[in-house]
Amino acid sequence: MSDLYILGALPWWLVALIAGAAAALLVRQFINLRERLSRGQTTFLTLVRTCVYAGLIFFLLGPALIDKRVTKLRRPLTLLIDTSQSMGFPASAKAGAPDKPVNSRLDLVRQKLTAGQTPLLQRLNRDYDLHIIRFGTGTEPIAPENIPRLRPQDPGTRLIEVLQSTAKDPAARSGMIVFTDGISNGEAKAVDGASIGAPVFTVGVGETQGFTDLRIASFGAPEFAFRGREFKIELTVQAFGLKGKSVPLFFNRGKNLIATRNITIDADPFEQKVTLSFTPKELGTHTFSVSLPPQPGEQIPQNNQREFKVDVGRDKIRVLTLSGSPAWNYRFLRMALKQDPLVELVSFVFLRTPTDTVDVPENQLSLIPFPIDDIFLEELKNFDVVVLDDFSYRAYFNPVYLERVRDFVRDGGGLAMFGGARSFDNGGYGDSALREVLPVELDGKGTFQARGEVQATLTPAGKAHPITRLLPDSKANEETWRKMPALTGVNPVRSVRGETLLTAAGDGAQPGAPLLAIGRFGKGRTLALMSDDAWRWNFIAVGNKETPQNHLKFVRQSIRWLAQEPAFEQVQIFPIATTQPGEKVPIKIKVLNDDFTPVRQAAVQVRVFSPEGEPIVVPTAPEGEEGEYGGEFTPTREGIYRVEAEASASGKTLGKDKNSFTAAYSYGEMDDGLPRLDLLKKIAESSKGEYISINDWNDRTFDKIAAKLEQIAPSEIVEQRQVRLWNNLWPFGLILTLLSIEWWMRRKWGLI
Amino acid sequence: MNRRQFVRILAYGLSGSLLPGVLDAAESDDKRRLQFTFAQIKYRGGDWNPHPLAVTPLLEELMARTSVEAANAKREVTLSDRDLFNYPFLYLAGKYEFEPFNQEEVETLRRFLSYGGFLLIDDALGQQGYGFDKSVRRELQRIFPGNELKRLPSGHAALRSYYLLRRVGGVRIASPNLEGISIGTSTPVIYCQNDLGGAWERDQLGNWTNPCTPGGEPQRKDAFHLGINIILYAMTENYKDDLIHVPFIRRRLTR
Repeated sequence: MSDLYILGALPWWLVALIAGAAAALLVRQFINLRERLSRGQTTFLTLVRTCVYAGLIFFLLGPALIDKRVTKLRRPLTLLIDTSQSMGFPASAKAGAPDKPVNSRLDLVRQKLTAGQTPLLQRLNRDYDLHIIRFGTGTEPIAPENIPRLRPQDPGTRLIEVLQSTAKDPAARSGMIVFTDGISNGEAKAVDGASIGAPVFTVGVGETQGFTDLRIASFGAPEFAFRGREFKIELTVQAFGLKGKSVPLFFNRGKNLIATRNITIDADPFEQKVTLSFTPKELGTHTFSVSLPPQPGEQIPQNNQREFKVDVGRDKIRVLTLSGSPAWNYRFLRMALKQDPLVELVSFVFLRTPTDTVDVPENQLSLIPFPIDDIFLEELKNFDVVVLDDFSYRAYFNPVYLERVRDFVRDGGGLAMFGGARSFDNGGYGDSALREVLPVELDGKGTFQARGEVQATLTPAGKAHPITRLLPDSKANEETWRKMPALTGVNPVRSVRGETLLTAAGDGAQPGAPLLAIGRFGKGRTLALMSDDAWRWNFIAVGNKETPQNHLKFVRQSIRWLAQEPAFEQVQIFPIATTQPGEKVPIKIKVLNDDFTPVRQAAVQVRVFSPEGEPIVVPTAPEGEEGEYGGEFTPTREGIYRVEAEASASGKTLGKDKNSFTAAYSYGEMDDGLPRLDLLKKIAESSKGEYISINDWNDRTFDKIAAKLEQIAPSEIVEQRQVRLWNNLWPFGLILTLLSIEWWMRRKWGLI
Repeated sequence: MNRRQFVRILAYGLSGSLLPGVLDAAESDDKRRLQFTFAQIKYRGGDWNPHPLAVTPLLEELMARTSVEAANAKREVTLSDRDLFNYPFLYLAGKYEFEPFNQEEVETLRRFLSYGGFLLIDDALGQQGYGFDKSVRRELQRIFPGNELKRLPSGHAALRSYYLLRRVGGVRIASPNLEGISIGTSTPVIYCQNDLGGAWERDQLGNWTNPCTPGGEPQRKDAFHLGINIILYAMTENYKDDLIHVPFIRRRLTR
């Protein structure tokens, strides 16, 4: 069927002008003809001319015949299914039967799409050109037959970004149906439904009414803390559907309970900020957790716990010095340690020997009894470094206590022994538990020498070692040591077990006799300075109008090395940044010799322990920088991964280091399971779609959506054919015929 | 025996015969490691050594009562001696006015005291504003301009470094308190006007040279205790102010 349309070839005003002119011509023709012809003849000829003019004007208007043909097409429709991890949460707030667990949100979506005699998926596929996409933080097209196999697997949900990017596809512009719980995280932009660009029919999965959950919401803990200093953890406990209950909040270090806090839930929804604190006493990386016990009927018990790690460092190196008597060496050692902001000093100076007599009652003396048991049995572990400064234990306590010092070093403590008439063999250490600990072999003679000058000379190891590196420039450092004031007392030793950093020169000692030696025992480090005269490096230098800083630096560096400050570790794992599961983590290790030169061919073993404690060996290889080795590890799941590195060279263990890193998604997908149905309503409303709860979905819902889609953009395609009437021959023939009739009649009536 | 040792022994023999009680500390005992040498400053003008025999009795007391191994006798030094800094403890005594230190000596002493050395000043006259006192205050003003001598509080570490002292002894009680110059938490200069040296001094026969008035022998004992305390303070600085000592000392003082 064709319809006539006026397409408007000429402007209307021109057509009207022509029509007016034609009418005027007709009136004039009628008057002229009437004078010569009868009324009937005049009327006939005028009528014929009117038809001619009307025809001309009609064709000037651009008449066309349009032939329309209507075709009904299958409309494209995009079906989006949320497969983020939160879709694994229970779909219903009602508790299921013990033998039949509650369906997850994704289970419910699957059922809704695939169950029944005429499954929804089948209907959608029949009526629409259906595109199915699963989404989380990204999108993936899937075939309809794969829907039963969908799993809640994505670590986050970028709902809005997914809708916006999908809407750019022509197949989705006519409409999208989204099955989701509305939990959206990791969005780069604020939620703005109006900018989605296509109508979105949001199908809300999950229930807010009756939603029961107890969770640790916001959480803040320091990554670093200092030993002996309190750190705080701030968290927010949220509860839904648990009004009237009282729950304990547990704070654990590893498996040890540190503190419990009772939370009384007096509102629904409920929120309470909690601050917990802890004072770590041990160095290293410690794993802590805060947890709330799962409550009956709770839908998401996974979010009741937070695990975190804190690297406990020392804000101070705790140094214990035992000095055999007041002496200038103690005076200047004390001055150096007191000036060091990193050192906390506890010192005992034995002001009186058992043979000294006093002339006043004891209560007129300031002497305090040396707290042997307190120090050696209780407090020793709280120190980092013990210094025996010209001190002999023999007059004061049983040598059994030295076994505690030996164990202290074996467990990682630092021990320094400074020389003097009460030290090394003179102090009886050759027969003590410390004999095997010291970095020198004692000669058993105890011949402390205090005659003649002793000049310290750097050994090759001493030139590179951080203890004796007083200046960065190697030559300047050697020159500095060459100019250091001479000492006047030396304890000869048989040999050095560890490394010799300084030897003696001058008439006060055997040439080349060891003056400063270092070593290791168990996990700890040891230092032996075979002189009680190091104070001269300070005060005599001052007298020579030189700086006392060299002595201060020597003491500072010795203490740091003994305390195994990170910069003084021979095996160091570089800090590892927080990462996400699936991302490669570079692990880099620095390995140094005993003299702190880089090790070129070290055997470096790196093991990464998964959050469950399973060790995984990471192969390493030398890297560009000398002494640096690297490997890669890819964490597979969220959690805290512990890294241990051990290096050896030529069969000798150089050291170990520990570190850890956290693998975590930044989305917090499992933290908050409350469906965001309000957000889904907002998206539907602003995009001119509609919100439907999955529980309200029925056959009428499908028809309703279909009608709305039809209303927004009809699915009928109209095909039309246009026939323009003025550019054919027959209109001209018609006008020519009419003009011929008029000519013939005029001739007949004698006008021509 | 090398040449240096031979010369030292020779010097020991000569000086020992002429000036009993004045020895080179390093040679006084081969077997002992000497941690402390009492060095007395020789200066120009006045009387730098009002009690030549004062130090030995003090050092004997020091060794008898404490674990300090000290040279038997004092060492005499001038402020221009090259080995001055071998002796971080200096003793400046006198009765009368003395000549001003030259600028180099002032700077040496300033450096000595600023970097860990210690100076005990002992006024044998005990007259404030006169004689030795006048010179001492003048020189200290030059060494530490703007940092005046101040009375040491009764709880100062020098009064607790060994004995818990409540009184300041001496031949006379010109002042019941000590004065000092402090730099930070340290007091490198302590000044006593009670003639400590006079109280320490014995003659060749072992008799006390000077009576102590008005307190008699207890006052002399206080002077010895103060001498020992000051030496131990010099060698341990504020050791007795460490937290571990504080409650113990407080308990004893309140008994």
